Amino acid sequence: MKAAIKRVGTRLSDKTLRFIFDGREYEAQVGDTAASVLMAHGIFALGRSVKYRRLRGLLAVGPEEPNALLTVGVTPMVIPNVSAPQLQLREGLVLKSQNRWPSLRFDVASLLQLGSGFFGAGFYYKTFMWPSWRTYESLIRRLAGLGEAPGASDLPVAAVEYLSCDVLVAGAGAAGLSAALVAAHTGARVVLVEREPVLGGELEFESALVDGQPATSWVTATEQMLQTLGVRILTDTTLVGGTGGVHIAHHEPGGLAGHNKVFHIRSRVLVIAMGAIERPIALINNDLPGVMLLGAAERLSRRYGALTGRRAVIFANHQRAYAAAARLVKAGVSVRAVIDTRSAAVLEQDAVTARHCASLQVAGVLCLSESAVVSAKGWRTVTGVDIQHLRSGKAKRIACDLLLTSGGWSPAMHAGLQGGGTTRYAADKATFTVTDQPIGRVTVGASSGHFELAAVLSEAASVTARVMSELGLVSDGAGIPMGLGDPAPRLAPYWRAPCTPSQEKRQFIDFQNDVTVADLRASLAEGFRDIEHVKRYATLGIGTEQGRTSTVLGAAILAELKGESIESVGLSRPRPPYHPMTMRAMAGLRVGSALRVAKRTPLHDWHVSHGGVLDPMGLWMRPRFYRSNGADAAIAAVTEARRVRTTGGIVDGSTLGKIEVVGADVAAFLDSMYLTKASTIKIGRSKYMVNLREDGMVLDDGIVLRLAADRFIATTSSGHAEHMLSHFEHYREVDWPGRAVTLTDITDAWSVIAVAGPRSRAAIQHVLGSEWQSRIETLTHMDFAQGHYAGVALTVLRASFSGELAYELHVGPAAAVALWEALVTSGLEPYGIDALDILRVEKGYLVSSELNGQTTPGDLNMDSLVRLGNPCVGRALLDRPAFHEPTRGRLVGVRAVDGCSGFLAGAQLTTLSSTQPLGYITSSVFSPTLNEWIGLALLARAQAIEGATLIARDPLRGQETPVRVTSTVHVDPTGERIKS
Amino acid sequence: MPLARRHYSALALLRARWAGSRYWRPLWTGRTLKDHYDVVIVGAGGHGLATAYHLARDHGIKRIAILEKRLVGYGNVGRNTTIVRSNYLLPENHYFYEDALRRWGTLSRDLNYNVMYSPRGVVDLAVSEDEIPAMARRGNALRLAGIDAELLDVAALERAYPQLAPRRVRRFPLAGALVQARGGTVRHDAVAWGYARAASALGVDIIEDCEVTGVRSHADVAEGVETTRGYVRAERILFATAGHTGMIGTMLGVPLPIETHLLQAMVSEPIKPFLDTVMVSVFPGHGETYLSQSDRGGLVMGGHLDGFPSYTREGTWDRMQDVVAGAVDLFPQLAGVKIVRQWAGTNDMTMDGSPIIDRCRYDNVFLNAGWCYGGFKTIPASGAACATLVATGTAPDLIKGYALSRFATGHLLDEPGYGPFPVRL
Amino acid sequence: MTSLSCPFCGVRELAEFAFHKTLPNAGDDPLSAVYLRINQVDDSHEYWQHVRGCRAWLKARRNPSTGEVLEMNLLGAVTS
Repeated sequence: MKAAIKRVGTRLSDKTLRFIFDGREYEAQVGDTAASVLMAHGIFALGRSVKYRRLRGLLAVGPEEPNALLTVGVTPMVIPNVSAPQLQLREGLVLKSQNRWPSLRFDVASLLQLGSGFFGAGFYYKTFMWPSWRTYESLIRRLAGLGEAPGASDLPVAAVEYLSCDVLVAGAGAAGLSAALVAAHTGARVVLVEREPVLGGELEFESALVDGQPATSWVTATEQMLQTLGVRILTDTTLVGGTGGVHIAHHEPGGLAGHNKVFHIRSRVLVIAMGAIERPIALINNDLPGVMLLGAAERLSRRYGALTGRRAVIFANHQRAYAAAARLVKAGVSVRAVIDTRSAAVLEQDAVTARHCASLQVAGVLCLSESAVVSAKGWRTVTGVDIQHLRSGKAKRIACDLLLTSGGWSPAMHAGLQGGGTTRYAADKATFTVTDQPIGRVTVGASSGHFELAAVLSEAASVTARVMSELGLVSDGAGIPMGLGDPAPRLAPYWRAPCTPSQEKRQFIDFQNDVTVADLRASLAEGFRDIEHVKRYATLGIGTEQGRTSTVLGAAILAELKGESIESVGLSRPRPPYHPMTMRAMAGLRVGSALRVAKRTPLHDWHVSHGGVLDPMGLWMRPRFYRSNGADAAIAAVTEARRVRTTGGIVDGSTLGKIEVVGADVAAFLDSMYLTKASTIKIGRSKYMVNLREDGMVLDDGIVLRLAADRFIATTSSGHAEHMLSHFEHYREVDWPGRAVTLTDITDAWSVIAVAGPRSRAAIQHVLGSEWQSRIETLTHMDFAQGHYAGVALTVLRASFSGELAYELHVGPAAAVALWEALVTSGLEPYGIDALDILRVEKGYLVSSELNGQTTPGDLNMDSLVRLGNPCVGRALLDRPAFHEPTRGRLVGVRAVDGCSGFLAGAQLTTLSSTQPLGYITSSVFSPTLNEWIGLALLARAQAIEGATLIARDPLRGQETPVRVTSTVHVDPTGERIKS
Repeated sequence: MPLARRHYSALALLRARWAGSRYWRPLWTGRTLKDHYDVVIVGAGGHGLATAYHLARDHGIKRIAILEKRLVGYGNVGRNTTIVRSNYLLPENHYFYEDALRRWGTLSRDLNYNVMYSPRGVVDLAVSEDEIPAMARRGNALRLAGIDAELLDVAALERAYPQLAPRRVRRFPLAGALVQARGGTVRHDAVAWGYARAASALGVDIIEDCEVTGVRSHADVAEGVETTRGYVRAERILFATAGHTGMIGTMLGVPLPIETHLLQAMVSEPIKPFLDTVMVSVFPGHGETYLSQSDRGGLVMGGHLDGFPSYTREGTWDRMQDVVAGAVDLFPQLAGVKIVRQWAGTNDMTMDGSPIIDRCRYDNVFLNAGWCYGGFKTIPASGAACATLVATGTAPDLIKGYALSRFATGHLLDEPGYGPFPVRL
Repeated sequence: MTSLSCPFCGVRELAEFAFHKTLPNAGDDPLSAVYLRINQVDDSHEYWQHVRGCRAWLKARRNPSTGEVLEMNLLGAVTS
């Protein structure tokens, strides 16, 4: 194990923990991130890039980090691409570097970088065409990709919380705190989200006073004040998306997927105070481990004491670099030089810089103006830098092991650009900011290009007060903090150090995807001039860091190469989520059984405990068959179906949709909704009816019961109730406004037990007792009677889905199990949906295979119903010529010519000599009644002649069966059983 | 006259290695807009570019302009999930999509531009036994038409895609799959760029930042288009404007059987090879997720429409959540992989779910539209067939079924049977 | 667009609502009413239903380019 000397940092405790990186055990202090401790151990190289597999170290310490991505866990249970600077270490964590083989130090594929001239932007569009792309693809795919593909995951389901507030503030730096204070003082409900575990943002480095206190004390006091004012403060929580008034924030502590929470925050105002991202300056070999952003070094040093004793050169274009240098020196970093691109004349007018320079020089720090670091030197890590005076060209080399660059800050615009914002470029600060944001969305602080503390505090407060007043939330000016911090950074835009054209391919802009200045030049040469084209062609800003450090730098360098202004080049549009988010978190609660909540009938538990094999049918769970009737579904279904025909059986039909239709106008209303008339149904009678869709296709079928002159129950197919209800409701509102038609979905209010078979009448009479005896005796086909069973409402409908003498018992769910069990006790056995399928195909009854949204009533042999001329919805479009052509399908029955061969639903029907499909088999079953395979088919009318012979071709399943066309009614064609 | 284009090859890359980036030439050259063309194509997306290429190559038409409001390939051709397949049920569709699939196989060499056709297979999962008959119907129709299709049972699915763990307990247990092995993916941007380069080399004027604002006509003949860069006379006009077709209809005064919806897609961070096929899962409650892994390593996924007309190109969180939930349900091991980017395209959905390639309003104005979910995968077939229609005035057999008149005659091409609604209530 | 305002229930999550279709032109023949759609980039007249709520059918005017709801009324409301 590698122990480390004890470090001091604002985020470190004295306690230690151990973790493993690339197979070696290391010691860390509690509070360390993977990046901080590895840096402290002198391990600079943490990963390899995507394209050239170049060795890479840490660039940044936030979500903008493109290089230092690690795989956490042990194969197969790994989480790939975890940002090392955000990963809070825990005892025993196992980390691996990525995208290298066999090891991080020696990677075979890194030899690719020798061909970097060959592998320029878009090279893959120009080659790998012979013999085919597929030949090369698998090798390229193995080289690409970053982290290991997980083979398993034990991530918990994310918690989800819904919040509602007046003002949501994203970011708790100076601007966010100021905005939250002002908002909270108005009495508004405020939610404050902060990505870091602590509040304060850049105030961590602020030396000035805020409201008369040191900045860090002010942060603590403000946090308390906000809590007193009732502000909900969410740390470790990042705003990731949302449009309109609902915003999504993700709470994921420790920088690693685990216990986490997704917030859906409905807010009238969104204040974006997400700060700015420091950007690098492009120079030769700027991707060497040891080259990092100045701000990152400051954080590593202050929070984790990770850089003590290192020799650093700072390269910047603004005044802030000097204060940072002084702080680093104080923290024990040996700063060798501050290289400033600004001219001596500018520096002389800058009193702050002059003062800092003087004291730094006393400490032995070389301060050079109008100079640039043109190249980082070293093999594997930085060992020195080459410096050049920008006017004289005079060169100088300084030995160091850190090169800290700072080219200014790019405001975080990701959130601001959703929902309609546009960008504006401010040349003096070299920043893009968001303008024209939609109502209720504002950007403040560094996110809107303000970098002076005083301005940040006051602007955030005034903008927040303004946007709130627009929404009627008035601020009295209370709570506006005052601070006087560092003046403006006095930045002089500077994007890349001088180099020769051939060196441009080592000036990196986008580290993860190895996009260099040469790639931008190549894109331009090939005509990709618009930033959106360059982004796609050169793969600029599409990495896991979402272009945070590369888009503005890329745009600026593209502008230089094109000879245009940065403003005219613009930025490519960022896309949500604003921060990478695990798929588990994004899925929210829709995980496992909650992907779709299952609907269960009141008899569900009975089925489960009696061997029922339940399968989803739509959102419902229904028993396919019962294990006691056979080892597999096919055997059991045949057994169950045969038993229904010989003695009888019961099936759970509770999933049947039921819509109650009540009101003085309902008979006429239902007439308009069905192909045939409901108004002719007598009270106490029911009728099989069919609905059409607007375009004339059959939408659904079902039995309609008339309970009274003004009261009907319309039944629908399982799972169709909701759709049919909407359909009815729509036409009620469009065609029958103000008329007395009340529609209620009563599907769940009635359990349905269908009782079928020769013994069904006797069994029901036995179970329901004497009061029902004679009423059931007198029920003829399609009659129904209403009463009670065990004190619970019961409707007995004589109707059949099996062709047998059959009844549907609609009973209140409270008595469903009792009634079911009584029927079982009386000797009827349950059957499942597969058996029901057999029974209905034997009778030629329709199900979803035939009612598939592609069939007209004519296709289903209902021409006579159409001819009745009831002008219902969809009727008008049935006269289109295509529906009457000889090639149009019509429902027929089919059976094997030899009386024993099988065929399956989905087989295509052709003539004997051709393979041109003329139709297809919609349903097929083995009929226990006929002892042979039977089916229903939709067959071209010209061929739909009983007795005609065709081939059922099923190449998918290797079957070819000669079949003959029959009537659709295979069993009991005269319907004697049903009337018995 | 622009510089002759460079032939692309490994050898050329080597040459460029020494010659520097100046070796390469612009893929398409910004030409000046002339005042008169034989054919004006509106929209430099996949269909417009491919049609221009075939008009120039196959029909020898010399004066062709493509007028593009924004940028070459900036619409749906660059915003899709890159899936290509021909496993459609209806003959009018599967013969057409198959023509496209065959052309994808040779397109890289035809265009001398690697569009990265990756025939890794498309797997339509059945999440219930009840779905098998409809899948078999489709698969058998394909096989009888000479198009590849295979029906896998759970055991075969497990052998072919062990990472799917088909026997795992799921809310909707897998019952099998219909597989088209020749289906797969194509690099989307490359299609636009490859066609643009090839068309440009044949003399087509590709004019970006040029929006068409109106059509000038006399009697029943269109004479040209008004653009933001002035009036352009045209003998024939083709609109290939995808999600903006509804607005073109309004511009021409012709309501169309089209409704514009938003379709989202999203991509994860790159990971090492995980899935070498395209998985499609459609499940109850309007659930749908299709998922594949790009050559870069990102998992690309998409699903249903957002569900209401929209030109915002910003999808709803709810739909994104549902697509991702479907993906994690298929592959729970991906739970810790992060989504890094989401985007959305505007889809012109027709009232039977199949495209429209036909004349529109004027004898010399043509429409290539209504691509619903299928626009990208048909580009090579659409370009060839549409070019024939525009050049000869007669629709080739392959696209006869895509006439606008089919709604009146009842010759609907409604694959899923949803009827005249892009989204169901 | 993340929410809609139902005349009965007030502002509710978008997921509670279902879009049906754009309104046909008054006086359209049945074929046109079923198949043709009026596509407006900034002023779309649409049928919606608060389907996972009070089930009210709604007539909306929306700007599909921004998602802004310009008007939301009950369908079938009868004025005396």
